[in-house]
Amino acid sequence: MTQTEVTKEEIMAVYPKVAETMADALGCDVEDVKLDVSLIEGLDAESIDFLDMVFRLERTFKIKIPRGKIVENARGDLPEAEFEQKGIVTEKGMAQLRSYLSEIPAERFKTPMKVADIPRLFTPETFCKLVVHAQREAQPAA
Amino acid sequence: MTAHFAAFSFVDRITEFIDGSRARGFFWVPQGIRVFPSCLVAEAVGQLAAWVAMSKVDFRGRPVAALATETRFLGLVLPGDVLELAVEIEDCDDNMVAYGGNASVEGRQMIELKHCLGPMLPVEDFDAPDALRERLSLLRDRGAPRGRFPGVDLPETVVIERVPGKSLRANLNVPREATFFADHFPRNPVFPATLLLDAQIRVAAELVEKSCGPQFASPVASRMTHFKMRSFISPGQEVELAATLSGQDALAARVMLSAHVAGKSVATARVEFAAREPT
Repeated sequence: MTQTEVTKEEIMAVYPKVAETMADALGCDVEDVKLDVSLIEGLDAESIDFLDMVFRLERTFKIKIPRGKIVENARGDLPEAEFEQKGIVTEKGMAQLRSYLSEIPAERFKTPMKVADIPRLFTPETFCKLVVHAQREAQPAA
Repeated sequence: MTAHFAAFSFVDRITEFIDGSRARGFFWVPQGIRVFPSCLVAEAVGQLAAWVAMSKVDFRGRPVAALATETRFLGLVLPGDVLELAVEIEDCDDNMVAYGGNASVEGRQMIELKHCLGPMLPVEDFDAPDALRERLSLLRDRGAPRGRFPGVDLPETVVIERVPGKSLRANLNVPREATFFADHFPRNPVFPATLLLDAQIRVAAELVEKSCGPQFASPVASRMTHFKMRSFISPGQEVELAATLSGQDALAARVMLSAHVAGKSVATARVEFAAREPT
């Protein structure tokens, strides 16, 4: 299994706790934290909220999520120089992004896309994937 | 005496310093000041953590207040008290520091901070890195001269709307000039988050006192959670504070706090006031 492949079952296994944690960080009802809602446009999250959510998810799931890991995970195996140039996501990068954020409707991937704007795409499902990746990394290699 | 490292600095001596990991130190609360609010005790703990964090990243960055998961207010610190400070760093790199800590007086814990997080910003934007390095050496060596803190005039709040039993809104006019701005920070004056919090708690206390019955007379905050500072507040800005009663039982009254500048949310928190035991 490659770094970017996370199954729906794995996502749904962590989603209830992720939603609860995110609702607590954002001060909204847990019912509002739908799997596919845009965190920035739908739940008014700001950069400090992303920091807060990662900080809380680390403690809830007893995992370590290095800062900047979300974009790094989205980049997958693609070298940084091929993923973005001068702060703009390349064509290859966009294809990788669409693949990683497969749950996000195609029309939300605007081009050209600044790397700084990638978080605008994020949904609770993005964070579920992040948690699953971190859990996998925490497990000792077989 | 210059205001730098005096007007808003709350670590006088560091007695234990394990780089990037933990520290202990003292602050001698000057006898001559009028009050030393609990929020400044929290500030002292945060500043000790900031010294550890700045040293860890070789003074490339300095942390600023952003998140505090839980703060327990356990007692009042008085002028003349000696604060014993302790911090444990949970995580620290060029992006952020996560820490917990406490402050005690004569072995009795007065405040406890759990899971706080501050993003690291470029240190040059706030202060001279060499001056900070030199200061840390002094604090770790013989310590700074005591009694430098001149006290702080807590900005007053003016009530603008009162909904009995439910909420209170008030304005806080951040002064354009104040001695503490020269120390917080020398290159970029910012209204300290802990002074904002002090004002917010005062507004919440007024709401609780007038809404929650005699067991909440002269209420003192016992616990704060979900503190989140979203952006800096500059000198001269008008901040609208809101306190909304979210719950009350026999043990505590709970209040949601928010602060807005020009309609934009700048800070949120939740605070609890413990009920007095019946006499």
